Amino acid sequence: MQDRLLPYWLLIPAFIIVLATTIYPLAYSFITSFREWDLTKSRRPGDFVGFDNYIYAASESAFLNSLWVTFIFVITSVILTVILAMALALLLRRKGPMHTFTRIILILPFAMSPALIGVSYRFMFNPEFGVLAQGLGAVFPALQGVPWLADPDLAMAILVLTDVWHWTPYMTFMCLGGLASIPRETEEAARIDGASNLRIVFGIILPQMRGVILVMAVLKTIFALKMFDQVVTLTGGGPGTSTETLAYFIFNVGFRWFDMGYASALAWILTAIMMFISIWYVRMLLSERKMTTA
Amino acid sequence: MAEVRLVDIEKKYGSFLAVSKQSLTIHDGEFLVLLGPSGCGKTTTMRMIAGLEDITSGDIMIKGERINDKPPKDRDIAMVFQNYGLYPHMTVRQNIEYPLKLRGVKRGERKTRVQETADKVELGALLDRRPSELSGGQRQRVALARAIVRTPSIFLMDEPLSNLDAKLRVTMRAELKHLHHELGVTTVYVTHDQMEAMTLASRVAVMREGKIVQLDTPKKIYAEPADLFVAGFIGSPSMNLIDGSVKGGVFRADGVEIPVPLEDRSGVVLGIRPEELDISQGPNAPINGKLYALELTGESTLVTLRNGPTSVCARGHADFEADINSPCHLTPKDGARFHLFDRASGERLG
Repeated sequence: MQDRLLPYWLLIPAFIIVLATTIYPLAYSFITSFREWDLTKSRRPGDFVGFDNYIYAASESAFLNSLWVTFIFVITSVILTVILAMALALLLRRKGPMHTFTRIILILPFAMSPALIGVSYRFMFNPEFGVLAQGLGAVFPALQGVPWLADPDLAMAILVLTDVWHWTPYMTFMCLGGLASIPRETEEAARIDGASNLRIVFGIILPQMRGVILVMAVLKTIFALKMFDQVVTLTGGGPGTSTETLAYFIFNVGFRWFDMGYASALAWILTAIMMFISIWYVRMLLSERKMTTA
Repeated sequence: MAEVRLVDIEKKYGSFLAVSKQSLTIHDGEFLVLLGPSGCGKTTTMRMIAGLEDITSGDIMIKGERINDKPPKDRDIAMVFQNYGLYPHMTVRQNIEYPLKLRGVKRGERKTRVQETADKVELGALLDRRPSELSGGQRQRVALARAIVRTPSIFLMDEPLSNLDAKLRVTMRAELKHLHHELGVTTVYVTHDQMEAMTLASRVAVMREGKIVQLDTPKKIYAEPADLFVAGFIGSPSMNLIDGSVKGGVFRADGVEIPVPLEDRSGVVLGIRPEELDISQGPNAPINGKLYALELTGESTLVTLRNGPTSVCARGHADFEADINSPCHLTPKDGARFHLFDRASGERLG
């Protein structure tokens, strides 16, 4: 009898920790999202307001702007990361003399903290003393003195660049894993059948990498949707609100304006978007498996 | 005429010599089998012909033209791989059609040729399935269809049956043989299965450690193995190889005394095939020992006799029965062929 219950007793501490740090805050934030709660006035959630917080979000331009910024950021960073990672993996998959060294070097950007990346890039793109700003100015005179992070479009481009730089190594390793699972014979058969290198990549390798690319794209999308650290340390959401991502906007609403009810509703909107993508991903993955392993 | 000539071809991987300066001519329409154990260089040789592996030195000629630097697609070859090499994201139809598409064959003609080829290998009803929905034998047929659809000058087959179960392998073997008879295309076939080699080949090249040790018809290789390695490799059950010495024109080993036409010497190996031995009753037989094992194979019984380190197998009648460890005597049949080899060098002595 005691033996039968022992596993459950052993699970209780972990369960309590998960309950206290994840389940409870999640449930609490969900309830809060239907209430009014100004933290500067009350330490407890206020009146029940139904869907008011959600309805307000749908018409608030600052939220809609952050949604648009996030959309642009996610689309560009996901597409660029996946393409770059795939291209790098195709270059790195053959073993050469620098094979191990290149792979070690490649993983370094991913080992860096996102906040630190933001700070580093802010310095590097400083028009007066930034090494990248100076270097670009030296190579392309037209770029001398360009206020990189003061221009809305350039600031967004740099934010995307830092994220792509950070994530490409990890995604490259995912691609390398996927490429290793493709039977060498399919590529060789295509070579004998008369396919060019380009055709082998697009007609034979990429279709077989569909599942891996899907996993990469969904993972990257979820991480990009949560983009926060680099925004704080690189652009601060600016200039204006041009790089104010949804996660950063939620942080501002909750911890600068102390409107916890509205911030909770926004956080649940972000969660809903991520859940929708995750469910779509699982369905796609299952149909992919059915296709390849039937 | 699609003759393939290998002239002193060599392949090195760093300091490892995979194929050592080998020359070989594969005649037009011939079914040549490269046979040998794992790592003997047979697949490397085929991959060099295909253009999938660079040649360290030597030349490969197809139809009299040196093709060393030609990419695989320009060598007018088709290859069937051990793991089929099918495109998993394409249907059977698309798989077969792909080489034609790449060569710019018009849609109408592609459709006709795919259908004709699929019918030839009995895949007509499966054209819209994906490879993952097919059995091993069906997948191998798709690989074959993809190879034959564009009527190449040479077929290269790299252990195409080794992933199939024993029964299917026999069926597919017959189909391959029939297909070769029907198409008459020069075929190079790699296998480690001597039975496949014997049944399919016009000629067999037995390879060992990167070298061709014997190149001949299956019949000749079976009847006159060039050395000890070939003797042990060809035949199932394999040839009895008995260690002993020759004195006074008689080969002697534990329990064995057989007259042979060889001068006195030690370190001799006598080879005799199991089917050339009879089980005899009398104690004065040339081969004597105790019955070690009886294995019924269906059409016959394999009788293994032991005497000290000597172990001899004979193919007996399916009804043969005896007690294990009882005395057992074997006599070579009239006209039985004895093969004599030097133990140290493996060379044939007679």
